[in-house]
Amino acid sequence: MSVDTTESSRHRISNIRLTQPQHWRSRLYSMLGLTILLAGVTVFACSLGSANVPFVTVWQMLISKLPFVDIDGDWSTNTEIIILETRLPRIILAGIVGASLGVAGATYQGLFRNPLADPYLIGVSHGALLGAAIGFLLPINWQGLAGDMLIPLLAFVGATITVTIVYLIARTGKSLPVTTLILAGVALGAFLSSITSYLIITSESEKLHSIISWMLGHFSLSSWDEVLIVLPCMVIGTLIIWIYARPLNVMQLDEEQAQQLGINVEKVKIILLAAATLVTAAAVAFCGTIGFVGIIIPHAVRLIWGADYRFLLPFSTLTGAIFLILADTLARTVMTPEEIPVGIITAFVGAPFFLYLLHQRKRGTFF
Amino acid sequence: MNWQRILLSISLIFTIIPLTACVETDDSNITPERIISLAPSNTEILFALNLGDSVVGVTEYCDYPPEARQKTKIGGFSTVDIEKVIELDPDMVLATGIHRDTVVPQLREKGIKVLIIDPQTLDEVLSDIALVAVQTDRFEESNMLVSDMENRIKALTSKISSTSEKPSVFYVTWHDPIYTVGKGTLTNELIEKAGGTNIFADSEGHLQINLETVVTRNPEIILASAGHGAAEESPVIWAQTDERLRGIDARLNDKIYQIDADLVTRAGPRAVDGLELIAKLIHPELFVE
Repeated sequence: MSVDTTESSRHRISNIRLTQPQHWRSRLYSMLGLTILLAGVTVFACSLGSANVPFVTVWQMLISKLPFVDIDGDWSTNTEIIILETRLPRIILAGIVGASLGVAGATYQGLFRNPLADPYLIGVSHGALLGAAIGFLLPINWQGLAGDMLIPLLAFVGATITVTIVYLIARTGKSLPVTTLILAGVALGAFLSSITSYLIITSESEKLHSIISWMLGHFSLSSWDEVLIVLPCMVIGTLIIWIYARPLNVMQLDEEQAQQLGINVEKVKIILLAAATLVTAAAVAFCGTIGFVGIIIPHAVRLIWGADYRFLLPFSTLTGAIFLILADTLARTVMTPEEIPVGIITAFVGAPFFLYLLHQRKRGTFF
Repeated sequence: MNWQRILLSISLIFTIIPLTACVETDDSNITPERIISLAPSNTEILFALNLGDSVVGVTEYCDYPPEARQKTKIGGFSTVDIEKVIELDPDMVLATGIHRDTVVPQLREKGIKVLIIDPQTLDEVLSDIALVAVQTDRFEESNMLVSDMENRIKALTSKISSTSEKPSVFYVTWHDPIYTVGKGTLTNELIEKAGGTNIFADSEGHLQINLETVVTRNPEIILASAGHGAAEESPVIWAQTDERLRGIDARLNDKIYQIDADLVTRAGPRAVDGLELIAKLIHPELFVE
């Protein structure tokens, strides 16, 4: 067993070393390409929706909002509200959330060295859901900004408290065994979701809509206020994660070896755990627990561009954003004027695509 | 000759099957004195037929008339406590469509008489009231109630027919995410009978829709549902305050109204109250004395 691991890790490290110089440039081009694609997808998504706004009008409207550009539009107030205050914030929020889930998923998979890890593995989603469910069931009117922010706040608090408890339970002395962390997360998650289920079955039917929609994830009332809150969390968390890409690479070998190579493994673990939890909790707080993005995006990226975390992390961020924007665009246009919860789309469209990638790269192990 | 016989027996079977399906109660002809209602609308029908004293069990959601709150609770709407029902020893249970394949077979197995009514339209409300009356021997009350409701509907319809205007109406069931009603719902029927046009009548049932569709379809009137509990005002507050609705006619002309959800969603006697209420909100000009 031990021979096996060292062999495969040796293989892995030689792989990284060998492929780096060759692919360095092409990966940078890919990253540039993805960034351009993200911008393109955003504009494309902006011109799709149940309201029939011509593509040209959308472009004019977007360009007219750039500084130093003066275009007189002949569109109505409602058209402007639809594009600039309904579609655009929603698309950008979907992008931010997708990016958060993508990068957090990659981080968790790296930290736990487990291909099944996703951002919800150690209880973020269960904690957030319980927080949100409590918020929905509180006898309060949703009034003004304070009311709108109540659910996200409770969800965020629920998520972070849960991960903290899991962390405290799993920590033994100065080390943090990842297996204990996962088990504690799964157990606490099950406990919390039993409370949530109880709250759900005893709640009034109209609140049930909100809770279930929240469970499946949706962006239907996204506004700029939400973007302004989630964006900083995502940027800060993601930057921290990106900085730790190199230690994360080394830790893929073996924690002990990483320690010998001069990496403070326990410190890196805590920082990455905190950063990944921050981005996930902020994303989940505003749009519910959208599934599948956090697990599939890092794997897809790994299959296409390889397992080097210095690329895997930024690629997962960009790809996650693009994927969720497209998924949400489908969610709001496929059955227009009806909406489908975006979580259904991410699994329905994402899973076959992922299986196709797996089929293309039948290499036995790819992790 | 044999095939004729086969054909005959097959056609016989096909005539008998619908007959047996229609008879959803057993043949016992005693007037029920211990009735359990499994839905708020059913409870309202029973009380309107003056059967309040015979009602021994209701759901947690049965809140009208106020006396109904005092009755023993047999669980929620979809979460019926079968043991409680049996313990109350009813001689009739009044169920709805959602119970057909869940609790009804269990209750019938125990020999309890079950009547299922599932009215979806005003006409069905009227005929189902009559059906309950037949099973409970309340012909006089039923005749009075049904003819009163019919007369009010007729009076309203003729009043509405004097105008050709059909303002567009958006009904908000809930706002986060936005839920509304489409065709096939009682609320949609009430809006149309009251002389309005439901902006989501092109879709079916209860549906989740997106904000931009509401802005695009630009309703002249918004009816915000007020449910139960302290959060009941949330939909109307949302309709009055969401920045993105500032350009629609209902907001510009200050035509956003709160409406008691029970009046317009419960398929019971008060649906006519709901109809009159909606008509007054949509066509106030017709109700000026």
